[in-house]
Amino acid sequence: MFKNILLATSATNACDHAARVAFELAGLFKSHISILHVLGVPSRGFSQMIVDVRTGETVPLNDDYKAWVLEEVKNYYENQIKAHNDTETNVAVGFPHREILRYARENNPDLIVLGGSTDDPDLSGYKKNIAGTTLQRITKSAQCPVLIVNRPAASFWGGISNIVFGTDFSKASDVSFQYAKKIVTSINDGELHIFHSFDISSAHTGLSLSQDEIEDQLREARSKIRKRYISQLKGFNKYSIDVWEGLPYVEIVKYAREKQADLIIMSHQAREVIPDKARLGSNMEQVIMRANCPVISINRHTSALFE
Amino acid sequence: MPEGTLCNRQPIQTEESLKTLLGDTSGEQYYKQMKELDVDQNLLWSTIQKTCKSRIRTWLEICAHCGMCAESCLFYLINDRDPKQVPAYKIQSTLGEIIKRKGKVDNEFMHMAMKTAWAKCTCCNRCGLYCPNGIDMGVMMGYLRGLLYGQGFVPWELKIGAGMHRVYQAQMDVTNEDFVETCEWMAEEYEEDYVGLHFPVDKEGADILYTINAREVKHYPEDLAEAAVLFHIAGEDWTITSKGWELTSLAMFAGDWEACKIQVVSVYDAMERLKPKRMIGTECGHAHRATVVEGPYWAGREDGLPPVKCMHYVEWVAEALRTGKLQIDPDKRIKEYVTIQDSCNYIRNHGLKKITREIMTYMVEPGYFIDMNPNEEHNYCCGGGGGFNGIGLYRKERNQALITKRDQILKTGAKLVIAPCHNCWDAIRDLEEEYKIGIRWSFLKPLLIKMVKVPEHMQPKE
Repeated sequence: MFKNILLATSATNACDHAARVAFELAGLFKSHISILHVLGVPSRGFSQMIVDVRTGETVPLNDDYKAWVLEEVKNYYENQIKAHNDTETNVAVGFPHREILRYARENNPDLIVLGGSTDDPDLSGYKKNIAGTTLQRITKSAQCPVLIVNRPAASFWGGISNIVFGTDFSKASDVSFQYAKKIVTSINDGELHIFHSFDISSAHTGLSLSQDEIEDQLREARSKIRKRYISQLKGFNKYSIDVWEGLPYVEIVKYAREKQADLIIMSHQAREVIPDKARLGSNMEQVIMRANCPVISINRHTSALFE
Repeated sequence: MPEGTLCNRQPIQTEESLKTLLGDTSGEQYYKQMKELDVDQNLLWSTIQKTCKSRIRTWLEICAHCGMCAESCLFYLINDRDPKQVPAYKIQSTLGEIIKRKGKVDNEFMHMAMKTAWAKCTCCNRCGLYCPNGIDMGVMMGYLRGLLYGQGFVPWELKIGAGMHRVYQAQMDVTNEDFVETCEWMAEEYEEDYVGLHFPVDKEGADILYTINAREVKHYPEDLAEAAVLFHIAGEDWTITSKGWELTSLAMFAGDWEACKIQVVSVYDAMERLKPKRMIGTECGHAHRATVVEGPYWAGREDGLPPVKCMHYVEWVAEALRTGKLQIDPDKRIKEYVTIQDSCNYIRNHGLKKITREIMTYMVEPGYFIDMNPNEEHNYCCGGGGGFNGIGLYRKERNQALITKRDQILKTGAKLVIAPCHNCWDAIRDLEEEYKIGIRWSFLKPLLIKMVKVPEHMQPKE
């Protein structure tokens, strides 16, 4: 399933949980794992100064510094690297989202794993230069699925079995479904939970619906799920279907908790990066922030891979 | 000591020597060697005799020492009105002295002159506007820089920068292949959002040849994508060139006249090869000055003009908005207090003061654009121009120089500062980092992208 995993990391504890998930997956699927640390954001115009994202200090860039940081990153993940031989470590200089995307483009990973953001305002080297977060920009533009572990609670210890696939019935969701199916059928004892939340927020509908109307919608969604997805499962019968009403991101987080999900798979459709409302825009971003398991985001670029 | 291995009178000619110099972290050895570097007084005097023409000689001669330039200089104002920061003093005590002494100056003098040329002047040319005799100290400072460069007394980063232009014909180690490849990458990334988006390469006879700053390729290629998107939305017939695409010139900041010529000729060659109707450069002030205003003279062009008509990006934006090629969704206009930082290099050096204000009338909801005071051709330098931003040795002085702009911005009450210039953009970013006044800063492109109407044929199907 996963042959080549890219773990993009700040090499700080903000990414520990993501690293744990990445190495778990790499162990489970015998994958090659590339650790990439973008060590510094260029600063001072055309000068050779960078802002080290770990220390927040402005330092002159040279080969020694790069080599030193590379060693630091290797030391940081020493135990994991020892336990998983097929690991390589790289460092890059630049804006993190751009360098991660550049590396991904050159090395074609089949999964990018990202941790939570470094929220310490003093470590804001990641954020201050170009508006919009690293996470937003990568989930928008990556050419492969992106797995995000935003909260410590979202990292798993014991493998994957319960997979929640959240759908809004878009074309992009169809792709996410293919992906979810691929994962669930490639693991032992996998269970697929197909979920849709009917959005009842007044901002969305513009009017309040009667419960009968809502329930009609729920029924319709259930039959859509059967037609669109179940028909494709062909003999795989460890699945469940649920349709709830509410605020989609809240409902999916609750649902995942109830199902003890190990993974949520959703499609990411946001077209623009909204700098000031970073991470508050879409359902996807809300789910990433709140979920207590890793979330895989599939964007439109990824779609081509599964069509 | 004669010349050092790192600090010497020789320009960087090869990739190898460029890497060696880069390897000297922060120029530690370089500056040590500079302390020992002899002044080649004969060379200095003969260079002056050959290159210091009547304009500069006249200017030096007719300066009445009236002090009218003092208050015009941001360095004078932020340094407690130190008489040594009066522009006339700065140029008379350096270039004036070198000429008076017929080049017989020593190492200590050259160190003083280097600091004056790069840490006490950003070549913003504001003083020239206030001199009753029309003397432009900024231009003379540029000339002084050339003399200093020729003797090896140039800040480390600028020796490297000029070397980059000599080796790569770009201000950073970005090759022609890197450039074209990055454009292809951006087309891939953005074409789903903007159907049909691509970068025409080496198209002959296009209406527009677009040139850029190598940093866009290296660090923020989104800027390239945004330029392409806007050209496509506007329905322009445009192209990039696979060779001669770098508009900027750190060589100009360094005073490396030969590299200035090499760089600008590479762009002019592209113009002559592709024969576009006009060239439009990215949002960069000094690059415009280098390629459009000064370049023709470096390249020895008799008409004093580039091979084709050249426009700064702001001119194209204004034209596109005026003619309706780009249409702004009125609901998406900026509805917060916003100000603009114009680059000295397109304002005082190229008279574009009305253009950005015209753009603001389209992009900003009436009542929300607050001009800085003073503004237009009287606007102050961002505090980081002329290469100042990138010089580690003068970081403290540069941070101090940002104060004028900081206070100008604070007085507007704006939280968003638009800066259609890489240098100003950098300086304002650093200003926020240094003084934390709670502002955001942006080029025009990302703001435009958010508010322009995308024609139907470019909209994604789903």
